[in-house]
Amino acid sequence: MSDLPNPLRHGLRIGRTPEPCTVVIFGASGDLTSRKLVPALYNLAHERRLPGGFSVVGFARRPWDDAQFRQVLLDGVNANSRSGAVEAELWASFADGIHYQPGSFDDPSAYALLAARLTELDLRRGTGGNRVFYLATPPEAYPEIIRQLGAHGLHQSPHGGWTRIIIEKPFGRDLASAQALNQQVLAVFAEPQVYRIDHYLGKETVQNIMVFRFANGIFEPLWDRRSVDHVQITVAENLGVEDRGGYYDHSGALRDMIQNHLMQLLALVAMEPPVSYDADAVRDEKVKVLRAIRRIRPEEVATYTVRGQYDAGSLSGRPLPGYRDERGVDPASQTETYVGLKLFVENWRWAGVPFYLRSGKALPRRVSEIAIQFKTVPTMLFAETPMHDIEPNVLAIKIQPDEGITLKFGSKVPGQPQIRPVTMDFRYGTSFGVASPEAYERLLLDCMLGDSTLFTRRDEVEASWSLITPIHQGWLASPAQPFPNYEAGSWGPTSADEFMARDGRTWRRL
Amino acid sequence: MTSMTTVEIGAIERELRQLWSESAEKAPDGQAVIRALTLNLIACTHDAAHADRMTDAIQQLTASHPSRAILALLQPDAPEPRLDGFVQANCLLSRRGTPQVCGEQITLDARGSAVQQVASLILALLVPDLPVVLWLSHPDPFADPLLTRLRSVVDRVIVNSQAFAHPTKELVHMAELERAVSSGGLALHTFAISDLTWASLTAWRELTAQFFDTRPLLPHLRRIDHVTITYQAPGGANNPVAGLLFAGWLASSLAWVPLEDAVSIEAAQIRFHLRRPAVGVGPDAIRLVTIDLCPVEAAIGVTPGMLALHLEALDGVTASFRVDRTETPGYALTTATIAGMEPISRLARCEEPGLADLLAAELRLRHRDQTFSDALRVAGLLAARLRWDM
Repeated sequence: MSDLPNPLRHGLRIGRTPEPCTVVIFGASGDLTSRKLVPALYNLAHERRLPGGFSVVGFARRPWDDAQFRQVLLDGVNANSRSGAVEAELWASFADGIHYQPGSFDDPSAYALLAARLTELDLRRGTGGNRVFYLATPPEAYPEIIRQLGAHGLHQSPHGGWTRIIIEKPFGRDLASAQALNQQVLAVFAEPQVYRIDHYLGKETVQNIMVFRFANGIFEPLWDRRSVDHVQITVAENLGVEDRGGYYDHSGALRDMIQNHLMQLLALVAMEPPVSYDADAVRDEKVKVLRAIRRIRPEEVATYTVRGQYDAGSLSGRPLPGYRDERGVDPASQTETYVGLKLFVENWRWAGVPFYLRSGKALPRRVSEIAIQFKTVPTMLFAETPMHDIEPNVLAIKIQPDEGITLKFGSKVPGQPQIRPVTMDFRYGTSFGVASPEAYERLLLDCMLGDSTLFTRRDEVEASWSLITPIHQGWLASPAQPFPNYEAGSWGPTSADEFMARDGRTWRRL
Repeated sequence: MTSMTTVEIGAIERELRQLWSESAEKAPDGQAVIRALTLNLIACTHDAAHADRMTDAIQQLTASHPSRAILALLQPDAPEPRLDGFVQANCLLSRRGTPQVCGEQITLDARGSAVQQVASLILALLVPDLPVVLWLSHPDPFADPLLTRLRSVVDRVIVNSQAFAHPTKELVHMAELERAVSSGGLALHTFAISDLTWASLTAWRELTAQFFDTRPLLPHLRRIDHVTITYQAPGGANNPVAGLLFAGWLASSLAWVPLEDAVSIEAAQIRFHLRRPAVGVGPDAIRLVTIDLCPVEAAIGVTPGMLALHLEALDGVTASFRVDRTETPGYALTTATIAGMEPISRLARCEEPGLADLLAAELRLRHRDQTFSDALRVAGLLAARLRWDM
């Protein structure tokens, strides 16, 4: 309904509000709901972005009632909302639309009760049959929930409304399972109803990559193999696996981070300009990039990948046990907590330019960035002078914690025959003086508005898994690794530095 | 802050350089000072107390619009001619290790005949290649000689129509001026007009528009028959500017045409009659719309602004849309009531914006605000029908 011609909308500075709808959260008693989803929805209400009648129904096994659920969410919002402590009056109005439906994911009667409650909300709160189903459950529950929704006719809306489903990562654990899940989803829902969420795409800086590239004339002419030496994409976490050891030990950094977040970042950096800023045009270009990446065959993993697992150490002055000592982790685990990759996008623009990706846990800082390192200039001009030591230009797109963009270039030191790198620094926080919305705010709002640009399409997910699965197979076929091989609180294994040194390069110091 | 008793451009520039140099030296280790200028902001007032409020607003704006601000305090009636200049940096408090962003402010305090020198000083102090915004805070801004002197370089003029000395008369004048500058009729270089009273209506316009983002409610918007706008204003019934602008926005957005001489005033309430296309009865059919403006005198210390809005559709299915400021400050209750359906209401934040918020909202505009132009045109027509102060 993006073409709704509301004449009062002209000239208003915030976008339209979605139609009244109900967001049904499966797994509503879990951490994601109280830490991210409901704080994001409350923030949207705080910013006047939600319509009257907006409702939430939590669905989970715990035998709570509406009041208990509201209290849990209130505590979660108080602890996690970026807009600070809850405003009592606003919360009272928002919480009026929050309900809880206890039930097991495989219990048909619970879905019948859910359907009845949604119908009642349509009448009482004017939600018009508009529904978002949010799967915030462990992935094993996805197929059953989807099947039950279909069996109870909840995949379609009454009264001419709309129904959408948001599916959290991980979307599969390899190509075959992702394809199977897609088939299960698409047996019930049509692709335009499906919103596969990667919260990285909701971050302002990630969205700004396209604006930066395609709304500025000065960068795009440099954005290719003629000017770029290489690209580094880093997502570093300064945490161990915490209470996710059981899940993580069956996943690892490659499947938990690279397959989704880092591949999305790579696609946005490397893609061609889309023909328009609509969901399918953007996603078409991202898929082309993913398909152009040269596959790493299982027998090539030693050449193009490096992995590590953290040992005991300290993070920010606090001791951290080794990965194998974490709860839920196999004491002889071969699961990687650090990955480095070298990928090539084999198309006209990027042929021969390596894209280095790294992601790890228990690293010194939480930082995510994309760095475009440009080729070094011919230094003949300054070769015989004290100014011969010229560093390459680097454009760094910082995604977290301080969202912004920096450009490093050389400048003469006043009064001395010396060149020093200086940095032009653009930060969202200081340049716009307003807090960026949380990623989940943007993504939930987009879904309610029917805009899937920042969500992942079926072919994207499968293209990404088709790159990742052979790497994982290659690792499984390789000899056991000498894990653990890096100390918690360091920047990863020495083999990662050697991996870069082989190409005459170094990882950026972040 | 550094002061100078003799105002020379060279001296001001030197003082500014020294100021920046000192700021950089005083910055803690590892903390850079960023001089960030995104516009030239000329703030002009005749009132010393108001100059302080303007300085506060300019300092708050550093976060979103660091600028070279030139604050001109003009007191032409002072007996002795005198011109003083001061420079200061406006810096944001920064977290340790992050750059400190600073704008800069030059204050020109002119008295008596020295007021006439101020325009030439300002012209010399503008930072090249940045937009020039002239913020006129006094009650008769369009008669200000400074506007005449600077109009060739100014990109935007910001006024506050609610503070006009003769609100309805000046509103008509502003509408005529806006139409003239937007048509390019006055000069090759034209400026946009911004009104802080209009900016203060944004949240209410959003809340009103949001009713009709909902597909089933949108058809009712074309069937509105009656509007009641209740607002608080300095001067109460004599200052209907906010109500006129809101009515102008509704009318211009919905193609309602004010009827000639169709205005009635009863007690403090002003009623306008307009016509709109009738829905579903042929292309030329029309229907009357009434707009009631219900002013409430703003008590001292109370922020003026909207109190309530009521839109009613009586043609066919009865529908009512209300926005009411709540007793708890900072919120509004919105309620949509359609015959045969449960009323839908919600509480929404609706804080009264501060001066810096209003200014920031207008500075965010890079071009003429066509919605404001259209609303002002109709508001001017309605104001002219009142024939007050004319």
